[in-house]
Parts: sequence; C-alpha cells; structure tokens
Amino acid sequence: MLGFPDIWIFLGYILTPISTIICLIYGFVNWKKGIDEKDGDYREEIRWEREEIELIEKLP
Amino acid sequence: MLYLIVFTIVYLTIIIYLSYLGYKKTTTVSDYLLAGRQVNPIIMSLSYGSTYISTSAIIGFGGISALYGFSMSWLASLNIIIGVLIAFVVFGKRTRKMGKALDAHTFPELLGRRYNSRFIQGFSGFVILFFMPVYTAAILIGISRFIEVYLKVPFATALLVFLLINACYVIWGGLKGVLYTSAFQGIIMIVVMIIIGATTYMLAGGIVEGHKGLTSMTSYIPQDLLSGGHNGFTSFPRAGSPVWWSVITTMIMGVGIGVLGQPQLNVRFMTLKSDRELNRSIPFTAIYILFTTGIAFAVGALTNVIFYKSTGKLAIESVSGNVDKIIPLYIDMFYPQWFVAIFLVTLMSAAMSANSAQFLALGASLSRDIFEQALLKGKSVAETTIVTRIGIVFSIFATLILGLLMPEGIVAVATAFFFSLCGATFIPAYLFGLYSRRGTKTAAKASILCGFFSSLIWMFFFHENESRAIGICRFFFGQDSLVSHPFNVIDPQVIALPISFIIFVVVSYLTEPVGQDVIKRAFRHI
Repeated sequence: MLGFPDIWIFLGYILTPISTIICLIYGFVNWKKGIDEKDGDYREEIRWEREEIELIEKLP
Repeated sequence: MLYLIVFTIVYLTIIIYLSYLGYKKTTTVSDYLLAGRQVNPIIMSLSYGSTYISTSAIIGFGGISALYGFSMSWLASLNIIIGVLIAFVVFGKRTRKMGKALDAHTFPELLGRRYNSRFIQGFSGFVILFFMPVYTAAILIGISRFIEVYLKVPFATALLVFLLINACYVIWGGLKGVLYTSAFQGIIMIVVMIIIGATTYMLAGGIVEGHKGLTSMTSYIPQDLLSGGHNGFTSFPRAGSPVWWSVITTMIMGVGIGVLGQPQLNVRFMTLKSDRELNRSIPFTAIYILFTTGIAFAVGALTNVIFYKSTGKLAIESVSGNVDKIIPLYIDMFYPQWFVAIFLVTLMSAAMSANSAQFLALGASLSRDIFEQALLKGKSVAETTIVTRIGIVFSIFATLILGLLMPEGIVAVATAFFFSLCGATFIPAYLFGLYSRRGTKTAAKASILCGFFSSLIWMFFFHENESRAIGICRFFFGQDSLVSHPFNVIDPQVIALPISFIIFVVVSYLTEPVGQDVIKRAFRHI
C-alpha cells in the first residue's frame, strides 16, 4: 500500500488523485454543455448595462 | 539576497502591469466587483484555486501535516471533492444563475435578495467584515514567518511591509486586477509546488521508501502527542482520542466542509458567463488543488524524515513547537538559495492573491451589504466604489492589528476558525436558498443567527483550542472549557452546522414562504 501501514491513510492518499480524475472526467464530459441560457437573459444584460451607464454618469 | 531582489522585482513588475491592466478595464461597479461577469474558465480556475489555497494551506496546514502526518491527505481529497466538485456543480451553477437573476454582486447580497431581507444581507456583511480579518491575518502571518526565517528580519517588520505592498494593488485593481494577478500567481504556484514535491520525495528516498521511513519514526514522536492519541505519521490517530477529534473535526471536516460557505469563493461563480465556463473550470481547479495542497501536505509529513536524517530531530522539535515555521525552515535548510527566493516569491503571490480577494470581499461587504442596505435602506449610490475602498482600508488595518496580536503557531487554527464559522452560519440558508422554494425569510434569519451564535458560544466556552486563546471562559469560570473530553475537542462546526440546518427546516415549516414574485425572479434561470 505505497508504504502505508494503515488502510485509511492509503485510501486518503489515493483518493486525492482519484477525485482529481473524477473532476477531469466531469469537466471534459460536460465541456460543451451549459451554454443554452433561458429566455430573457439579454433583456437583463441590457437593463444591467443601462443601470451601469446611469451610475457612471452620476460619478463626479 | 540578490536572487530575492531580482525575482521580486520581476514578479512585482508583472503584477503591477497586470493590476494596471485590470484598473484600466474597470469602469463599472460590476467590473469592480464581478469582473463584468465574463471571465475565462482557466483564469477562473486559477484565481479560484489561488484564492482557496494560500500560504495558510502551504505554511499552516503543511506545518500541521508535519505534526500529524499523512492523516491530512484526507483534507486534500475533501478540498477537491467538496471544494471543487460539490462547490462548483451543486452550489456554483445555481449561484451563478441566481446571482444573475437577482442582480447580486456579493455573497451576502445573494442571500439577502433571495430571502428578500435586508437584515440577512447586512448581518452577513457584518460577519464577513468582523471575522474574515482573522483568516486574512492568518495568511499574512504565514508569509511573514517565511520572510522572518529567510531574511532574518523581525516578524512585525515583515508583516507590515508585506501588507503595504499587498494593499497598494488591491485598492486600485478591483476584481479584474485581482483575477489577472491571481491567474499569474496560480501558474507560478503550480510549477514551484511540483518541483518541491518531486525533490522532497527524492530526498526522502522515493515514494514507498519515504513513507516507510516515516512509519519507522513513530517512536521518536514526543510523549505528550503519543499519549494524546498520535499513532505515527502514517497511521490515523487513535479513534476517540483528543488528537483524533482535533484532526478529524477541526482540520479535516472544519476546513473541508466550511469551504462551501466562503464568501470570497462563492462570489467567483457569479463572474462566469454560463454553465459551460463553470464545467470547463472544474478540471483545472482540481488539478490546481492537487498540485498545491496535495503536495504541500505530503511534503509537510515527509519533512520529518529529512529533518531527522540531517539534524536528528523531528520537524516540530526543529522549530521549538511553532508549526508555522516548519515549511519555511525546511525550504531554507534544504534548497539552494535561488530556489528559496523563488519559493518566497511564490508564497508572496499566494498570500497576495488570497488576501486581495478577501480584502475585496471585505470592502464589498462594507459598501454594498452594510452601507447600502443597513444604512441607506437599499438605496444605490455612486459612492459605492469609494466606500468599498474605505472598507478595504479598514480591513487592512484590522488584519495588521490581528496579525501582530495573534499567538505563534496559529495559522491553521485561525483558518479553521473562519471556515468553521462561515460553514455553520451560511451553508444551510445558502443551500436551501438555491434549491428550495419553500425556505422562508424567518427560517434563513434564524438559521444564520443560530449557526453564528452557537459557533461563537462553542468557541468561547467549550472548544478548548479557541476558548484558551480567547480567555473569556477562564475569566468567568476559572477554567478553559466548561465541558470535558471529548466535547472540549469537538470543532464548533460539528455542533453548530446541524443546529442551523435543523432550525432552518423546522422554522420553514412554521412560517410563511418568501413572496411568489421574489421566488419567481430568483429561480428565473433555473
């Protein structure tokens, strides 16, 4: 067990790279997913920008 | 010294340039606080990672690993499973969508708007403003200890000078500046940590040999640790012993779970444009954590083998009990001077990126959460950015004072304190806020208040680690803790988090839900 006498330590040690691999798999499987936003996003962006512009205009 | 000057100048030049770039591109409030919500996934990963993993992880928890051994590898795993996978997938995606729907700029603002409560936003801002400096100071102490060991300057001078350098760029750059610089700092960190990990294993005689060497050192462990439950550097502590409770509940669970309630990290999710960027950030962040904490904890434990080979002493004995000095001393003794200088620059970068993100979160808490919500009753004013900067300056002073006042060997303990406090205070209201339409305003308030106060009460009167340092319990009752083993060594989060969870659920069923219009708006993109 990589020189560890205690199984729990061995598990903790190998779980670190294993959990990284799980994250890699998750990220690459979902690499192209999640781009479709629901309706209304752009209206919100526009409102947001307008508010920001108004705020900047108030700045001294 | 020459190496250090050269590397520092090169490093600072790049940082100043990147901060300037951030400053130039910062024109709006959302630019300043959320980098315009358009951040690239790799930059997001590196900046999230370098905010999450700072000197406190490398110096503080590296030192703790030297004390407790490879048990700490569980924390590295939890850092990835909970701190990356669960944080991004379970919390991050909905935080981003809800943050956008509710037009939230800070973590307290997200909670406040989700529950339609100014009190929640103001109180959460207050918790951050008054308690995050403890963690900020812990990070600062980490880097200052290294400067103290390496440059042989007094600790207080190191702390002051470093804080001044750090203060300069965060005040002007905003989150864009912080993101650019932390991404750059993240890259340096990964490269340096890989070199340290590889060389440490080489010095220890290889992976298996190194671990075996460490196993053979059990008999050299100080008697008080052995009788406290320490079973050696490659075995878990004796179940139920004081060392076991401390390692499991404070070091591993406190920090491993508490990360989910960290405001300076949660705000990062709101910087992304879509879930796709979030998905793409996950692998890079996980790799970053693996190469930083994973290596730091292993190196920490293995320093015992290397110290013993050359000095005949264990790591903890070589630093007269101050765990925060173990990693600095190890690097200073066993690496060439030019590498020590690079490592110092790396640590400076780690401390700067984490501290700057915290200062920004602190500033935002004062301006948006306390100033606008509590004092101006929700009015938005043009002075927000200025008040944010005032908040940053306040937090810098608070950090300086705490940094000078806190005792030795405190880095990991102070970090665990803040993670644990945030975990118990925010996690239930945050999780239910993202997933349950039934959660009520009163339940969120009750959960936040109960989580916060039960944590504090546990820290002041029961958990000996903190109650001894704070001293209130001794003042009133003449003893460090009102309870005996094992309760005096159980971390506050283990007690307070279930309390705040139960309170949330029970009160939610007894009170009226938040208005339908608020719910509809909050869940618009979900």
